[in-house]
Amino acid sequence: MPSPICLRSLSQLSLDRAANVSITSRTLLAPQTACFSTSAARYAAPPSKRKGMVAPPKRGERTLNVKKGRKAPSADTGKRPAPGDRKAMRKRIVLTNDNALEVSSLKDLDKATALSEKNEGQVRGLPEQVVDALRAVEAFKTTQGWSLFRRPATLMRKETIQLAKLLKEVEDPVDGQQKKTLRRVLSGDRMSGKSTLLLQGLAMAFLRDWVVINLPEAQDITNAHTDYAPLPSSQTQQYTQDTYTATLLSQILKANLKFLEATPVTTNPPLPLPLPAKPTLKHLAELGIANPEASWPVFVALWQELTQPGHPPIMLAIDGLSHIMRNSEYLSADVKPIHAHDLTLIRHFVDHLSGAKPLPNGGIVLAATSQSNAPTSPALDYCVQVAEAMQSHPDNIPHWNPYKNVDQRAMDVLKDLLVPGSGGAKGLDVIRVGGLSKQEARSIMEYYAESGMLRAKVDDGFVSEKWSLAGMGNIGELERVSVRLRI
Amino acid sequence: MPPRLNLLTSTRSIPYRPKVQAQWLARPTTRAAPWQSRAYSDSKDPPSADRSKRIESQPLPHISEEAAKIAEITGTQGPDVNKGTPVEEVVKGDKEAEKKLPKVMQDALKSKANSPPKGSRSYSTTTTPIGGNGGGNGGGLDMGLVGFNPPFTTPETPGLKFGMPTLPLPKDGHVKHRYDPVVDQVTNLLMRHGKKSIAQRDMALILQHLRTSPIPTINPSRPLLPGAPPPSHLPLNPILYLTLAIDSVAPLMRIRSQKGAAGGGVALQIPVPLGQRQRRRAAVQWILSAASKRRNRGSGKGSFAQRVAEELVSVVEGRSSVWDRRNGVHKLGVSARANVVLPRKR
Repeated sequence: MPSPICLRSLSQLSLDRAANVSITSRTLLAPQTACFSTSAARYAAPPSKRKGMVAPPKRGERTLNVKKGRKAPSADTGKRPAPGDRKAMRKRIVLTNDNALEVSSLKDLDKATALSEKNEGQVRGLPEQVVDALRAVEAFKTTQGWSLFRRPATLMRKETIQLAKLLKEVEDPVDGQQKKTLRRVLSGDRMSGKSTLLLQGLAMAFLRDWVVINLPEAQDITNAHTDYAPLPSSQTQQYTQDTYTATLLSQILKANLKFLEATPVTTNPPLPLPLPAKPTLKHLAELGIANPEASWPVFVALWQELTQPGHPPIMLAIDGLSHIMRNSEYLSADVKPIHAHDLTLIRHFVDHLSGAKPLPNGGIVLAATSQSNAPTSPALDYCVQVAEAMQSHPDNIPHWNPYKNVDQRAMDVLKDLLVPGSGGAKGLDVIRVGGLSKQEARSIMEYYAESGMLRAKVDDGFVSEKWSLAGMGNIGELERVSVRLRI
Repeated sequence: MPPRLNLLTSTRSIPYRPKVQAQWLARPTTRAAPWQSRAYSDSKDPPSADRSKRIESQPLPHISEEAAKIAEITGTQGPDVNKGTPVEEVVKGDKEAEKKLPKVMQDALKSKANSPPKGSRSYSTTTTPIGGNGGGNGGGLDMGLVGFNPPFTTPETPGLKFGMPTLPLPKDGHVKHRYDPVVDQVTNLLMRHGKKSIAQRDMALILQHLRTSPIPTINPSRPLLPGAPPPSHLPLNPILYLTLAIDSVAPLMRIRSQKGAAGGGVALQIPVPLGQRQRRRAAVQWILSAASKRRNRGSGKGSFAQRVAEELVSVVEGRSSVWDRRNGVHKLGVSARANVVLPRKR
């Protein structure tokens, strides 16, 4: 309880500018009101409205316009969409077009023939359960042309067969010793089909009953749109992203439901929450989904389970690699940018990409680069360039530009790309996604024509015209000039 | 054998324009068979003929028989009496005779298909395109059909480095006319601030939306152009879809207000016919302004394109307000048609 003197002095305290000027001028100031008094304001006359001030008309409202010569059509007066509509529209993925014709000659991929080399140059449909799984891991992108055709189908191009061979190599190693971990970076021009090749890899892995973990978009992890928290008991400070990890767990669960349901938990993981009796991996994942604050320990425990001997190989994939080869948008407590490799999920992926941690049951680590949504990452660019040069013209390897800033952590992760040698020996290599050959272009254009999306006679002249227009068979451009009616 | 009666002069009073059918129309392929029936069931004389013995009291024989008899007398070849008389042909064009026909024949004449159905206008509110862009399917709407016949190849001519071009030259052979004219025009009308590439992207999105939207249901009171393909064909041919929507609501004329011509400070409204490109331009402007008033659903680049595409679909389905606008212009044009000043004939 303050003393009355104290209160009185407080009420007489003047905070306004008048307190600082001299006494004489203070006495000249007309209304002398105490600072905390509200009476003057309350009894003051209401401020008179200035004449001629009319609120501007609402959007879309018609007003009388008496000016001459104002007949031009008014600007866009459409109503705004309801909240949430825009994002739903933007993220919507349509995989079917009822107007497109059914292609009678289209065969599905199946488990036995998924990795066969006979598929090369053919268009193959994706079976329904694979489509569901791919949708669950968000492998389909909005910019791809799935919405034009009756059902999803892909062209098994040369690079796809190359990837299929890798899957085969992992499944039955030649020399019969331990399982292989193969690491590949997909590179290529814009719209050359890198994300689609990643999708084909995931589809083949689903067909061969692998465990698939896909980070659909690296940008979403590093752009600071989800919550983050420091990970206790980490030597260099690391950060977990609980909500994102919980979402990822639910995607993993949805995509690999059959395996996770059937497999019991064998280790005794240290978890903050109790598991039910006789737990399966599904229960473990559900625990992380229901309690996002425990999602990171659950993810670690799940990974521990998946790498137990006797389990299927793992396909670990990411799209948009250059987003994780730089600082993230997150800030640390002392307002310094957090490097992307200090986020636990990214760290987990990068450890496997660099080969620091192998996959005990074998598997493939795939990372697709992007050309249209890629922040500058000189280390990644240089490593990819060197690896491509070693494949195509080994006598002319580019040199590091010393005037560029090197991100040493990114360089350390990708240093295997700089090792001379061919793909199998190195572990980490690039798959250069180039243009289609004319045979491949012809087969996909015949598929377009059979679907009714391309109204032309597909003959040699037509194919080579479009192939040339598409920049020597860049598949995105080929789709654009032949199906999308983009002039 | 010459014709039975020289009737052609009277039946050809209706002007007949032997114009080549430029457009495919859904018409029955069977033509009306020539009149084969006889007015009576028997080949013998009519029963009234032998009632009287006197020649002058006997009824006149049938018109064909009379002609045959006269021909027999004069020694020329008359009509074949075994074939009966086409009464309709005889009285065609003769109003007095038509009034006196039996009721069955009068009804048949009235219900002829060439008379317009009841309640329809005496003037047309649509036009058919003349000549134009059709390559291989004879003008009119471009159905987008693919010709699978090998093009006509000219024989080898010695001395040419690359050989003669195959004929006919492809439609898109000229660099300035390589795209569909409608698509080109709509793209240019979509363009704002001279940004053509954005307009082209919007055009591609519009066509893609038309291609993926469900099959339209045609409103019978708002019919599309005659000769339009069935609606199930439209989504697979989005350029035809676009063309059909635009051409179906395109106005035939605009109303020009001539100041001071009517007197008393009132502008005289004169309907002025529009050319095909002008008609399309008017229709596209209407469609674009209606689309900009629609509710915006998405965000980002494709939202206007999507609204335009939805408006096009609603035009084809007859729901759009653009139809009322077109009908209003036509109504005004009809009521002001007296103001049209035609060049005086000499």
